[in-house]
Amino acid sequence: MKRLYAIAFSLLAAAGLARAEDPVRREQFVYSVLAFNGKDYSGTFTIEEADSFYLMAGVDNFLTARKTLVYFWPITGDWKMDSESLNQVFEGKVELTGPGGRPLELQRERYTYYNVQGEYELNWKVDRGAAADAAWKRYEEIVNSYYQAMNRHYEAQAAYETRLNELSLRITRLREAKRDVTALVEELKAMQAPEPPQPPRDYIVPPSPVQEAFILKLPVGEYRIRFLVQDAAEPDRWRVMEGSEKRIVVFERRRTNGIGYEVIPADKWTRPVDSKTPSSVLYVDGTADLYLRPFFQDEFNDLAYEKMRQNDAKGNPDLLKWVRLQQVPQARIQVVRPGDGPQEVLEAPYYVEQVKGAALGYKIVPFDPQGAHKDRDPSLRAFQIPIQRQNGVIRLQVRDKTGAPLPGGGRQIRVVVQSRLRGLLFLLAVVPLAVMAVVLARRSRQVTG
Amino acid sequence: MSERLHASRVIASRRLLEAVITPGFYIALMIGLLAGYYLVVGFAGAIDSSGFNFQLHPIYDLIARSLSGAFGATFVEKLFAEGPFLFALYVAFLPILLYLAVSSVFRFGLEKNVGAVELLTYGPADGTSYFLAFFLKDVLLTLLSVVVLLAFFAVAAAMNNLVLGPMFLVSLVLIFFAAMAVFAYGILASVLTDSAASSIALFIGFLVLFLLVQMGSFTIVSRYVRSFSGLLSWIINWLSPLFYWNLGLAAAEMGGSGGFLLSLLALLALTGVVLYASHLAMRIRGVRP
Repeated sequence: MKRLYAIAFSLLAAAGLARAEDPVRREQFVYSVLAFNGKDYSGTFTIEEADSFYLMAGVDNFLTARKTLVYFWPITGDWKMDSESLNQVFEGKVELTGPGGRPLELQRERYTYYNVQGEYELNWKVDRGAAADAAWKRYEEIVNSYYQAMNRHYEAQAAYETRLNELSLRITRLREAKRDVTALVEELKAMQAPEPPQPPRDYIVPPSPVQEAFILKLPVGEYRIRFLVQDAAEPDRWRVMEGSEKRIVVFERRRTNGIGYEVIPADKWTRPVDSKTPSSVLYVDGTADLYLRPFFQDEFNDLAYEKMRQNDAKGNPDLLKWVRLQQVPQARIQVVRPGDGPQEVLEAPYYVEQVKGAALGYKIVPFDPQGAHKDRDPSLRAFQIPIQRQNGVIRLQVRDKTGAPLPGGGRQIRVVVQSRLRGLLFLLAVVPLAVMAVVLARRSRQVTG
Repeated sequence: MSERLHASRVIASRRLLEAVITPGFYIALMIGLLAGYYLVVGFAGAIDSSGFNFQLHPIYDLIARSLSGAFGATFVEKLFAEGPFLFALYVAFLPILLYLAVSSVFRFGLEKNVGAVELLTYGPADGTSYFLAFFLKDVLLTLLSVVVLLAFFAVAAAMNNLVLGPMFLVSLVLIFFAAMAVFAYGILASVLTDSAASSIALFIGFLVLFLLVQMGSFTIVSRYVRSFSGLLSWIINWLSPLFYWNLGLAAAEMGGSGGFLLSLLALLALTGVVLYASHLAMRIRGVRP
């Protein structure tokens, strides 16, 4: 009987736990927003309780109105959309009222977006209407031709392997029969495996399948938005969808083309840190070399940027933050050490090797494509700055490909060694106490005198 | 006017002498320096191969977690971007500021209560020259404290191969001007109340209000509309030294020397306005409690 109670209790407890882990899903009208964040597109959505959403000025952002299920996920502390269970995209139009006060109606458009190869990482393109279909078709053709080339390669590879097996078998048999195999061996040696076709490199991010959305490219300001649907009874009438009235805050970069550094210490390559503030100083203990990667960054309002990326995020409305955009192409870093003239450091490929033995950990070594790292890719491309404990101060300046210094690209690396004169500093801190003792003693002597 | 200034100067010199022959100022200065020492040494000890690592020092770990939770990671990143001195300066200056301001408020309230100010106004001085003397004394001691803090942190930076940083120097100037406005509010609190205790309570009320509004503006939020609190804080901001201090910092960060100078001028103007309000209140209320 006791066992039965125990089983029943366990089942009830498990059911309770399962219920507790299953968040309540609510059917809501949401705006699904695909917003350009300065470096790529990030998706977010507005729950009914949200009074606003944020977009960057002067860039294409995509908006759809839909009915879906939303729920709060306590583990990550944010709202999520269950679009697999319900995802009904509404037909209709949006009405925007901007700072001028005149409402503007927008219809849905077909679109695709993609990032093409270029000198810089950021080459985002948006095509609309027929151009979007053409861009998608072109991408499909590239992919299809690649697959066809791959099929041909597989066939050639299969033929190559068949011939290889044939020759190997024949050579083995002939050798067993003690016959001359020179010609066959020569043929075997001359055989070369077919080269696989190169995957298409036209795109960094391929075009998205063509979809329909309201495309918002707005100047800075605050806008009111509402979603209008046709009345079922009177098709000429448009009614406002309940819960669709929101505010759009369109913001812009405060400063642009700043320079930040990604700092990768040789002993912790998986834990890079960023140096974003132009006046910041890189303090290190001098136990490991640094590998640097300079990047362009733009400055945004913290709250606006965070909420653009995720509408239920928090941010600081009175602070500006630097946001990393893309690596500085073909950069070079000028390094000045005390007592030395300026040296120019160039970007080089490096490979991360696991340290053998009980110590574990990693070390970063120059990439050797012909030797130890043949047929592998470099783990990182960066600027190596050797650091020694006696270095003191190392000054850096990023330069562009022409050698011109980039504004905001200067930094200092300072090797901090715990001072042996800490006791002296403590004594300095208590000097006021000593002065007080002297003054009070003198005063006491004067009074008693 | 010149007689009033002369009277203020004479009283201020007596007050200064009193301040340097009593232990309070030295103890406040030492507490500030010790706090600064602890923060600088802690920072130097929390540096590893990748930079400043909060987790290596328990106090910094606590500070970083608390500040990140309240104001966001960007705030903390900026606070320590140039090193420990910006944060250490504020922490070190706080006990000095509080000591100078509260002691003046208390003393003024006490002397007014026992009739000392009234007695003095029968002679060559008036109530305004009396509170101006307090103000002058506090400003001079603040200047001395700022110089001492600068010298101490410069030595600490040299010893540990750290840099003071441009924002530290900017903050040093800003806190001096902001402190003047705080002292002016202390005088206003003393003039508006009848006893030492109530003047301290009112003065602390002013400070807490300004601090809450300033912290509120830095606090991370998730909603766009801050409605009533936003409107209220907008009004209070115009009266708050911390608001102009923050404007000055923001201008300096953007490299705008014009904006920085404007914020200093605004702090001076605020100080003048509050002192003038104290003068008017003194004239209306008189020097009797």
